[in-house]
Amino acid sequence: MEFGLAPVIPAQDRCLPVDEVFASMLPDPGLLRGRTIGCVGPAAMSLALALAARAVMAGSWLAAIGVPMLGVDAAIELGVLSSRLVIVDADGGPSVWADRVAAAADGFELIVTRPPGGAERIAGKIRTRLQARGVVMLVVGPTTPGVACDLEFTTTSVSWEGLGQGHGYLFGRRAVVRAGGRRQPRPVECELWLPGQNGHVELIEPVLGDVAPVIELSRAG
Amino acid sequence: MSNVPPRLVTVWCPDWPTVAARVPADQAAAVFHANRVIARTPAAAAAGVRSGDRRRTAQSTCPELLVLDHEPDREAREFEPVIRAVAEMAPRLEVVEPGWLCLAARGPSRYFGGDRAMAERLVSIVRESTRDVPVGIGVADGRSASAIAARRAAFVETGVIVVPSGDSPRFVEPLPVTWLSELGEATPELVDLFLRLGLRTLGQLAALSPSDVVARFGNDGLHAHRVATGRDVRPSATTDPPPEWWVEHPFGEPVEQLATVVFIVKRLADDLVTRLAAEGRVCTRLVVILETEHGERNERAWYRDHGLSATAMVERARWQLEGWSAQPEGLSGGVALVRLIPDEVRSDDGVQPGLWGGRSQADHDAARAVVRLTGLAGEQAVRVPEWQGGRLPADRYRLVPAASVDLEDSNQRLDRGEGGWPGALPIPSPTVVFEQPVAIELLDEREQSVRVSGRGEISGSPALLVTGSNRQRVTAWAGPWPIEQRWWSTGRQRRLARFQIVTEQGIAHLVSVEQQRWSILATYS
Repeated sequence: MEFGLAPVIPAQDRCLPVDEVFASMLPDPGLLRGRTIGCVGPAAMSLALALAARAVMAGSWLAAIGVPMLGVDAAIELGVLSSRLVIVDADGGPSVWADRVAAAADGFELIVTRPPGGAERIAGKIRTRLQARGVVMLVVGPTTPGVACDLEFTTTSVSWEGLGQGHGYLFGRRAVVRAGGRRQPRPVECELWLPGQNGHVELIEPVLGDVAPVIELSRAG
Repeated sequence: MSNVPPRLVTVWCPDWPTVAARVPADQAAAVFHANRVIARTPAAAAAGVRSGDRRRTAQSTCPELLVLDHEPDREAREFEPVIRAVAEMAPRLEVVEPGWLCLAARGPSRYFGGDRAMAERLVSIVRESTRDVPVGIGVADGRSASAIAARRAAFVETGVIVVPSGDSPRFVEPLPVTWLSELGEATPELVDLFLRLGLRTLGQLAALSPSDVVARFGNDGLHAHRVATGRDVRPSATTDPPPEWWVEHPFGEPVEQLATVVFIVKRLADDLVTRLAAEGRVCTRLVVILETEHGERNERAWYRDHGLSATAMVERARWQLEGWSAQPEGLSGGVALVRLIPDEVRSDDGVQPGLWGGRSQADHDAARAVVRLTGLAGEQAVRVPEWQGGRLPADRYRLVPAASVDLEDSNQRLDRGEGGWPGALPIPSPTVVFEQPVAIELLDEREQSVRVSGRGEISGSPALLVTGSNRQRVTAWAGPWPIEQRWWSTGRQRRLARFQIVTEQGIAHLVSVEQQRWSILATYS
């Protein structure tokens, strides 16, 4: 039998796996393929790497485009396998950046990037390409992501622990992470160690802030 | 008897990577790959540096050691004159890697009147062709026996060891099993296991029955057992006959850019490897033929016992092309034809990773995308991390072109070593590491620049971080943690002190002061 419609794939199968810490904050069971996810604020890079970590461990490859200063050690501590990490330079403006993202979309399932100024104009084309290929793009930006995002992770407050006045070492960072954006029905906030002990991400407080109360639906039968 | 392996000559230049780097023999130097010594000069060997040492161990054994990077391209380029000189005597040779080539003994040895006469002639040919380098020639039955003979010959005066026909098993018998890892026929872990089980010589290993060996150690063990018995690595009878096809690409317009030809070779190699893999086979001996528009032709055979991956094929074709274009009467026009012939194939016996931990579709797709990106952006723009170790964040990994490494073989590249690196800051590591440190000013409460004395004392507590016109208060800090690097060398020595600071915005930086100049090395973003 032939139907004129494309087969419906359940959301579960269209997702890349993500750490449990973030799974509770996302509307889908993982990172939905084709989505553009923004990570902004002082902990942007840690957020992006932590979001990618579980999928990379499961076999996806990660291309870091236009972020040559990515700390490989930190990536490993957050759980990204460095054997599946490729770092691509993208100096030379938005068109060069777009070419390289498009080329990477053919083979990589995850892209971490920082769009150059003026990338908004070609972002639409890139987006179509990423959706067709089922690639998740993690956009890292200091204050605003360079392109429109489906989901946006920001930190509302951060504080480093372990460092005093002339003594100690950086030990971990407590961060209140807020997941919002147009594909997020309601913003969710969590308090995390980003990173905590051993460089991993850990949950401190599951749900914070002005989130609608969760109503337990009892199952029939 | 079909079981007697063919008689082979191996030409071996010991520690070729250091020879290719043009380091004088009396200078202590070593070439490193993935943080391990792969070659060292005689002076370094005399000082106690051994092949396989970690960089730290090697440097503590021999403080004045010159550290060189592994550059396969340079090594291949420097080896080209040797290949050409030997090819004039015996055109049917195959290159295993730079510094190591093989040829069939039968023809040349008959022509020159015996194995020994031929081998002595080879020694003089190789020495004439390139600056009197040390060389060893081994003649024996089978590939591994002749390779061992050549390696030992490099340290005898004549430079020649001839193992009489049929004597190979007796020749290898008393040798220690560490030869297996030396030749790359077994992993160091397997050799270590043999030693712990009390199998110290190849003879002891060979005395076991093959079925016991395969039951206990699997295919790798069987392979090691075959080497130990002095028979060929793979008896010629079990080598599959070469398939009656090849892949080629005729260029409509002759091409003069190396990159374009290499790009096509990559496509051909992918095609070849995929077709062979579909039949469950790998190519161990590849013939690369290049032709120019004026009808000049260059043909060379490349051998690799574990089978050539597509990346390895491309690398070898590039070496060949570079060598040819560097030759004085080499190519006079653009390349018009590239042909890859799988001359010797065998069934893939699982030396390459199979189902478990093997290549998935994602790996395959990513490798293809890497090739496309390299074609688009150039080799230097697409890089992968390679562990090298160090105390500063920027030293810990170096980025190497993705085109130059075997993405399939990540273990070698990412050997991170055990535990923390002494003197490095504890976890967490910074997520943003600047290639060029960002110059800043760090001021104390009186707005004076913070100074660090030679004894590690600071003039005041850091209170303000000034980046250009931007001023931020420092809320927490720790340090200084001093580093002194290479204090024994006046030109390369480095002294700096590291601090961790947190600014009022909650951003943590790793800053350093070197000769009273402050900079941000990395940021914990």
